[in-house]
Amino acid sequence: MPLDPATGGVSNAPVPPLSEKQWAFLMEVARRVVPETAALDAAGRERFVAIVGKALADRPRSIQRQFALFLGVIRWAPLLRFGAPFDRLAPERRDAVLRAFMDAPLAKLRSGFWGLRVLIFMGHYGQPEAWPSIRYAPSFRGNEMLHG
Amino acid sequence: MVEKSYDVVVIGSGAGGGTVAKELAPLARQGARIAVLEWGPKLRESEFTGREAEMAEKLYFDSGGFLTSDRAMTLAFGRAYGGSTVVYTGTSLPLPEKVLTRWNVPGLEFADLQRRSEKYLAENNVHLMEEDRINDNNRLFSEACRSLGYRVEQFPVNVKGCQGSGLCNLGCPNAAKQGTHRVQLPAAEAAGVEVVTNCRVERIGERECTAVVANPPYGEPSRWPEGPYRIRARVIVVSAGAVNSPALLLRSRLPVALPALGRYFTAHPALILVGEHERPISNYHGHPKSYYCDHFVDSHHFLLETCMYFPFTTAKNLIGFGPEHSELMSRMDRMQMILVLAVDPALPENRVTVDGAGDPVVEYAFTDEILDALVESQRAAARIFFAAGCRRVHAPAGRSFFITAEEAGRGDELITREAFKLGKVSISSAHLMGGCRMGSGPADSVTDDWGQVHGVPWLFVADGSLFPACAEINPYVTIMALADRVAERVRARLPELPAA
Repeated sequence: MPLDPATGGVSNAPVPPLSEKQWAFLMEVARRVVPETAALDAAGRERFVAIVGKALADRPRSIQRQFALFLGVIRWAPLLRFGAPFDRLAPERRDAVLRAFMDAPLAKLRSGFWGLRVLIFMGHYGQPEAWPSIRYAPSFRGNEMLHG
Repeated sequence: MVEKSYDVVVIGSGAGGGTVAKELAPLARQGARIAVLEWGPKLRESEFTGREAEMAEKLYFDSGGFLTSDRAMTLAFGRAYGGSTVVYTGTSLPLPEKVLTRWNVPGLEFADLQRRSEKYLAENNVHLMEEDRINDNNRLFSEACRSLGYRVEQFPVNVKGCQGSGLCNLGCPNAAKQGTHRVQLPAAEAAGVEVVTNCRVERIGERECTAVVANPPYGEPSRWPEGPYRIRARVIVVSAGAVNSPALLLRSRLPVALPALGRYFTAHPALILVGEHERPISNYHGHPKSYYCDHFVDSHHFLLETCMYFPFTTAKNLIGFGPEHSELMSRMDRMQMILVLAVDPALPENRVTVDGAGDPVVEYAFTDEILDALVESQRAAARIFFAAGCRRVHAPAGRSFFITAEEAGRGDELITREAFKLGKVSISSAHLMGGCRMGSGPADSVTDDWGQVHGVPWLFVADGSLFPACAEINPYVTIMALADRVAERVRARLPELPAA
């Protein structure tokens, strides 16, 4: 009996703790982190927002504020090096910015980026609808699938 | 505020609390009033869906992603009827004698712990999985270890009627895993012990505690109506786990000074490593954890285990992002996985504290020895992956995203400490230990060898927080054995203690 991804994993999405602009920017970053998110349809984007929004809403206000602040840092930090905010950069420069945060000398910047990518992975791979494309097909009766 | 009165109140229903509840059941049959107060819900069978985000939210504290204060490690611990026994893989090993010797707790004898461990191995149907139920992910690990000359053993597991869903860490959807939610708690309830779910204990006072019942929008409603409670008891047993037990005691008014409370926290910091095969292998079908390799425990302070995780957890544990990350993720059916666990020292500075709201904060510093162990473990895992036939390996401390089979002999050069940066790498822990450690006096411990808090005859601890140092193996059988001792002492003490 395979699990039924069609019944969905998340429902009753809460009010997301980010503004519309912040959500739009997060989706821009998500396209570089998980390229498949660029192809999400409206329902897929809604599920992404529901999962990430729920995860954020369950965290303390201080964490929510830090996350929103970090999104702002990602957006505006490239001004110093490239003369434009993140969302006006070419894709390869966007990747360079994200890599710089990932390997930053300051542990706080690294862990900030770690938290951002974790939320993006959660929003995408937390959707059972993503399972077929990654060849993940769990079954409650997994033993029946063993040995051919 | 509703007032209640019991002979014994147990806080938490996992390996510790569930065991104490069942061991006190004969008292309940004789008329003693015993309650177990569990923060988490009791899910209906139909609610075990195997869907990662949904089950993590319902069964884990902070959805399994509780962060240490510097955000370098996430801690996973259950919050449910049955505690973390609902979400472990059921691997069941008693504590090795050499570890107990290192613990050096006066009065705690190996023969005693072994006898009690064996009782729970039998009670929980612990056995070796039949060979035809071993999937490729596990078989390849054991064969590769043997070919390399590494000591490898099969895990005994506590399942009954396992269907191989591979979803153990999301709560078994087939009711096969014999956690306290399946064995000890139902037995206790049958004898008259009350198990109150969705009940968060806020503070402990002199022979009483305050709690709030609030039902989430899932699971069975609590047997108590929603609202605040004051519960008096002759004995209180704290079994809320290695994070929440110290936190509860720290925010409570205890009649004694306990300088070691919250300290000596250990976690077996872990990495999930991935190798990729040329063709699909059986990995997410079948029991996920059948073998372990303790070959490097004494020499390099790490343990290797088989594992198989779910899409989000897997994605999180790979380094990097973008096309190469997505490409590896798109081949979950070709992944082989190894979990490495570092054997970490018990240090007073690694501790549980509470913030201004009384919520737990875990301060944990990685020593050079732990970081060295985590780097060396990746080299060993890479050797195992390549010996198992992987075409390429992803190591968090790798200098590039993949190490190819052609580079297999260059592990020391390609997996380096310099590339292993805290805050960048996903380090997680599901073996939380210490914080209320056993010992001989309050200067460096919280309880005696029977789990009684020093100087407080009515207050006991029974969970992984009792461990004076890490277990070096999966800890739940040892938690049950220690809880069995605590229950024995409670039974003996109860007649001497005044009424609630």
